[in-house]
Amino acid sequence: MSYKFRGGVHPNPNKELSKDKPFVTLLPKGEMVYPLNMHIGKPSRPVVKKNDEVKVGQLIAEADGFVSANVYASVSGKVKAIDRRMTGASVPAECIVVTNDGLYTPVEGLGERTDYRTLTKAEILDKVKWAGIVGLGGAGFPTHVKLAPKDPSEIRWIVANGAECEPGITCDDRLMQEHPEWVVDGVRIVLQLFDNAKGVIAIEENKPEAIAAIEKAVEGDDRISVLRLAVRYPQGGERNLVHAVTGMYMGSGALPASLGCIVDNVWTLASIYKAVCENTPLFEKGFTVTGEGANAPGNFLIRIGTSVAEVLEAAGGMKEETKKALLGGPMMGLAIPNTNVPLVKANNALYLMTEDEVEQAEAEQTNCIRCGRCIRSCPMGLAPQQMMLAAKRGDLDRFIALHGLDCIQCGCCTYTCPARQPLVPTFKLFKPRAMAYNRAKQAAEKGGK
Amino acid sequence: MSMLNVSSSPHLRSPHNTSREMYNVVLALLPATVFGVFHFGLHALLVILMSVVTACGTEYVFDYIARRPNTLWDLSAVVTGLLLALCLPPSVPLYIPFAGALFAILFTKCFFGGLGQNFMNPALAGRVFLLISFGTAMIDYSYDGVSGATPLATLNEGGTVSVLKMFLGFASGHIGVSVAALCVGAAYLIYTDTIKWKVPAATLVVFVIIMGIAGPGHFAPLYIGAELAGGGLILGAFFMATDPVTSPMTGLGQLIYGGLIGGLAALFRLKSGMADGMSYAIITANLIVPLLDKYIIEEPWGVGKPGQVLPSEEEMANKKPGIAIPRSALVLCLITAIAGVALGGVYSLTKDTIEANQMAANLAAYQAVVPGAENFAYDEAISASLEEAMAGDYYADGAYGKTRVNEVVAGTDASGNIVGYGLSVTSMEGFDGEITLALGIAADGTVNGISFTVINETAGMGMKADEPEWKAQFEGVKVDSFTLNKSGGSTADNEIDSVSGASITSGAVVNAVNTGLDFYHNYIQ
Repeated sequence: MSYKFRGGVHPNPNKELSKDKPFVTLLPKGEMVYPLNMHIGKPSRPVVKKNDEVKVGQLIAEADGFVSANVYASVSGKVKAIDRRMTGASVPAECIVVTNDGLYTPVEGLGERTDYRTLTKAEILDKVKWAGIVGLGGAGFPTHVKLAPKDPSEIRWIVANGAECEPGITCDDRLMQEHPEWVVDGVRIVLQLFDNAKGVIAIEENKPEAIAAIEKAVEGDDRISVLRLAVRYPQGGERNLVHAVTGMYMGSGALPASLGCIVDNVWTLASIYKAVCENTPLFEKGFTVTGEGANAPGNFLIRIGTSVAEVLEAAGGMKEETKKALLGGPMMGLAIPNTNVPLVKANNALYLMTEDEVEQAEAEQTNCIRCGRCIRSCPMGLAPQQMMLAAKRGDLDRFIALHGLDCIQCGCCTYTCPARQPLVPTFKLFKPRAMAYNRAKQAAEKGGK
Repeated sequence: MSMLNVSSSPHLRSPHNTSREMYNVVLALLPATVFGVFHFGLHALLVILMSVVTACGTEYVFDYIARRPNTLWDLSAVVTGLLLALCLPPSVPLYIPFAGALFAILFTKCFFGGLGQNFMNPALAGRVFLLISFGTAMIDYSYDGVSGATPLATLNEGGTVSVLKMFLGFASGHIGVSVAALCVGAAYLIYTDTIKWKVPAATLVVFVIIMGIAGPGHFAPLYIGAELAGGGLILGAFFMATDPVTSPMTGLGQLIYGGLIGGLAALFRLKSGMADGMSYAIITANLIVPLLDKYIIEEPWGVGKPGQVLPSEEEMANKKPGIAIPRSALVLCLITAIAGVALGGVYSLTKDTIEANQMAANLAAYQAVVPGAENFAYDEAISASLEEAMAGDYYADGAYGKTRVNEVVAGTDASGNIVGYGLSVTSMEGFDGEITLALGIAADGTVNGISFTVINETAGMGMKADEPEWKAQFEGVKVDSFTLNKSGGSTADNEIDSVSGASITSGAVVNAVNTGLDFYHNYIQ
């Protein structure tokens, strides 16, 4: 039986558009833009200057502190500028701009093969840190930080997240089908760091081909197993996965490591494999272009820093009636006003919608009818309706008492709300306020004692 | 390049909007509506139309005057109008649904801010408003052109009803009388996740437990079935109590709220003057909903659990992922258990007293007509045959007019021998209503005499029956039955002279006595 969690919703998975399209390697022609804040944590520090020559796989910005990540050039060419450019998050950020010479000259040693079994734990960790790997499922948290918990002997499970529960996206599915050994070897490399751990590769049941390929790849390895998950959004949420694997609930504000888990997206694990075994830092990854607005939906191996417009053009462009372009899936993705932004490490899809359901929803909005669907759908067990009332009133204490800070912004409540209340959009604005207020309150309490 | 739309995620919406939700309720009510019209006729349809049109019209006009956007399209006014009509008697004059729907929409909904803002169910507020203001019309349940008691009223008065007819809806009652049709709709609502199923579940469980413990029929399936199928219980539990706006948001809150409705409904059925108190039960429970929502904050997933000790491999192997303990089920059981035990306790404490009181009222009468008896007690075999003999409305299907044998006690002397029987018999056909008398029959079948326990006949005429000389005619004779001699001057043992000018009273008394004798000959002797 497959694992099913509490709550959640079942939007149309919409995977048919691109699930059977193999990866096509996309070599960009135009200008490349590398934002320095592609990860959670401190922005990277540039190590190149204007007019410097760069090669494929060359370090162009280094991690500034522990929670930060290196950035590599994905093309060869010349540094054109280091200045502020618009990014997919719709805020300008400091970027390194490189003119692409179209030659793709690699740096020395790129692609050199190493057997991970000969490496020590410290060497593997160094390699992961060197490669600038961050969580590729969308969060962008530096992976070398995740792989360095306080007590490595407490880690019992390495979870490969292949749930891919966001509608439309298929690049994880394709990865597991086309290169299952990248994922499985990635898990094996991480397992080498944790002596007491077992590997679990979790996949939603609607990807039978991927499950078959991975099962074949792990055959005979008793340290790694495959976990089938029911098809339900947000199955790939970290807390749901930890619960699926361990049977334990992850506490509010806790990290998976506190329950002995390390959860990594399958593309993150593939990148670990490439860094450790093929001496290749993170500059290329899988990407899906899909949605009703895409002329030719498909999966691509894209170079980080390519502009969305160029990827889109290579994918056949978008239909004229396209109303919305999203970086990511339709449940949690970011809408971009135009495609003139660079792709960053954590981007995994461009989703083009011909119908703006949010716009339609605004037209049919009514007062809340207190139907309770939001509560039933919340995978965190929260009461979005009550949180909404608190947020509308600006009642920070009530919002915190309702555990509003535990909201993961998955969007289930908003998807399911018949009154079309903008629940998650409101929480997104209110949560930072509540967090700041909570911190100040806790600090004041500490000071008072 | 043109700008694309930008908004905050999620970018998808389920096809379920508010009007779809309301549409589901209308759809679910359709079978009951169609049955009501088919069963009660055209006037029922007019009542429904009047109610729906008034509800919609009121909302439209209010929106217009208050300069609010028109909200008719969300269909909530249609639901209110339809629900109100379904809980009205089918024969009400048309001003009743008009006034009810107007009150429901204007006072409970519009004045409080429209959809989602009302503090009690508008349809029920409308119904209760009508019950208070137009009491007579609201309890006039005509069926087939005959005014009569609803099955529930009959049940409350100790009569018998056909549960199957009640379930299917072939009975008198409000327009939404067919429980079967309502159940079809309720199943649809639960299937489409339109209603919070915990509310009706808690309501019905608590209701059945309390009725079973404290009701006269206890857990007899037919009795429970009749109570469930009667009145507005099903309509209320599945369609009104579940009104999303006025029911709690949390699972625990829904159980408490549902349980409260079930408890109140049972209490009103058993102890109030009303045949059915479902409307009052629901609107009373509506009032505690804001408090339930304020104070019940469900524990989010995994709060308070971080840092717990990691289980061993063995424990993990035994652990099945993904199944949380259904805490709600435990809570439901707990609530019903507490309510059940409390009510059961009160009942068993008072049960003997109730029986003792009943007995005491008749004791004096029995003592007068069964001389030599020290104690009176029920005889189980006789009580069982009494129940059997009284299965119909009247004794022996009315062979003695509208008479009933109420109870039979056996009188014993100091050494425990049966010296005679006391029977309480009622005739409904006195000149001024019911006459109840105690009839004493000695162990050998001789009639000892009669003593009235209830008699309200005309003073100086019918009341002369209560004088010793007249009653003496029944004393010390051993006959199969008595006959009334209206002309007077009787000589035979079995002839009773009529009280002059009060032959109706006399006839009723003779019929009552003959009923008792017949019962004695057929079941005791």
